[in-house]
Amino acid sequence: MATEKPRKDAPPIYRERCATGIEGLDNILNGGIPRGNTILFTGSCGTGKTTLSLEFLVHGAIAGENSLFVSVTEASDKLMKNVIPYDFFDETLIKKGTLVFVDMPVIYERLGLTEMELSLEDVGTIVKAVGDLVDELSIKRLVLDSVTSVCYRLKTEEKIREFILQIGKCLSDRGCTSMLISEISPSAERYSLYGVEEAIADGIVLMGNLERRGDLLRTLQVVKMRGTNHSRAKYVLDLTPAGILLVPLLKGGSGGGTT
Amino acid sequence: MTADTVSFGIPALDKAIMNGIPKGYTILCLGGPGAGVELFAKRFASVDTSNETVTYFSTSERDSDVLDTMKEFGWNTNIKIVNIGTMYYEKVLTKHLEVSRYRLEGLTMRDIRQFKLAQQKEEDMSITNFLTTVTYEISKMKPPFRIVLDSLNFFLEYYPPKDVLSAIRTIKSHTQHHGGVALVTLVKGVMDSHIESGIEEIVDAIIELERQRDGFEFKRNLLIRKVRNHPEKTGILSYTIDEKGISAKSM
Repeated sequence: MATEKPRKDAPPIYRERCATGIEGLDNILNGGIPRGNTILFTGSCGTGKTTLSLEFLVHGAIAGENSLFVSVTEASDKLMKNVIPYDFFDETLIKKGTLVFVDMPVIYERLGLTEMELSLEDVGTIVKAVGDLVDELSIKRLVLDSVTSVCYRLKTEEKIREFILQIGKCLSDRGCTSMLISEISPSAERYSLYGVEEAIADGIVLMGNLERRGDLLRTLQVVKMRGTNHSRAKYVLDLTPAGILLVPLLKGGSGGGTT
Repeated sequence: MTADTVSFGIPALDKAIMNGIPKGYTILCLGGPGAGVELFAKRFASVDTSNETVTYFSTSERDSDVLDTMKEFGWNTNIKIVNIGTMYYEKVLTKHLEVSRYRLEGLTMRDIRQFKLAQQKEEDMSITNFLTTVTYEISKMKPPFRIVLDSLNFFLEYYPPKDVLSAIRTIKSHTQHHGGVALVTLVKGVMDSHIESGIEEIVDAIIELERQRDGFEFKRNLLIRKVRNHPEKTGILSYTIDEKGISAKSM
């Protein structure tokens, strides 16, 4: 079957961007994440995944986009305290309901998903529940921290694939830009624990640790991002009270310093 | 009655065994649906004794159903009812109904917040083991006491048979040690025969209520199938159920 090729002189299709509010990252992505994309933020522990995702939501909430953090492993009450020290954080965001935290275990309990291994039917039930919350709260940004913990209860590649596909479609259909947080071991040679998540996500951002001259630097690298050109260079990530700062990793240099 | 026995509430049955039930006995009453096992349990619970405390564990009837039936026959209702059926409805079935609602109608933030509020108030949201509830309640009883557990089918439906058998052993040991009496009921033919045999092995006495069609009426037989250490006491009585309750006579 012949496929229709775009005309060479046709203007590039414009994808509306969802600015993360993290200046360095928005620059890397030419303005932000293409709206509606589902991005896998992957890395080992302590690389700043949760902090980055919280900042993404807070900036969204400040800009008037309702934002939802779905916490799978950590109680949301505790997580909320992590965003309070930021200079840019405003507690009224939570009071107004612009920034909402939900614990996945509560969703599991309410839906009677008590078995350790979830079924294919349960995948649909979870996705529907998330979709219902996105509709009810008019959510435009969502973080699922972590998708690995959900996948742990799905067990099989088939169910994980189905979950990522369904959740991605559900959020994309609603114009919701999402970050799925993925945990990998520092020595992992792939971007996700089960290998399925990375193949389906619209984008992959790899976060890591790099030891240089006795310092352990946090790094960030956009590996894949559908719908936009982007740099594939490795950046050093610095967590500051003003938010996340990203600077290019100087090859062979000292690196890590904020400029 | 003697000092060592208590009454079933059915004189012919008392006479047929040892002028009553020896204290410390655990009795199994079983029969098919419609044979009158539940009514037999209520008769046993309502024997008017001045000093025994009577506890009736109900699994499928409301408290009022138990009491109204007893009143209908003019029996004593001075009993304590522990309604496992109601507890099960409140703690388990209500949750199942909620889950169905959330799945079909969708989950809202209000539902999530309500759950979190309940957690903060430390409301008891744990799953109760109702077998443990029964054995715990029984372990607190001081002699003289009389226990009715109606019926074992409820527990066999929701818990592994080995756990139910273990609970019956616990009940039996407590009853035996303190000189009380316990009656457990079972609808016959619902569970595997090896489970029934396991229960029959534990209890001290077995009464089976049998209903047979005889032309245009039912013929009812009461089979004394087991009396521990007294095989000579086993036998068959006929029984009738009328407005006065249950009465039996020798064949």
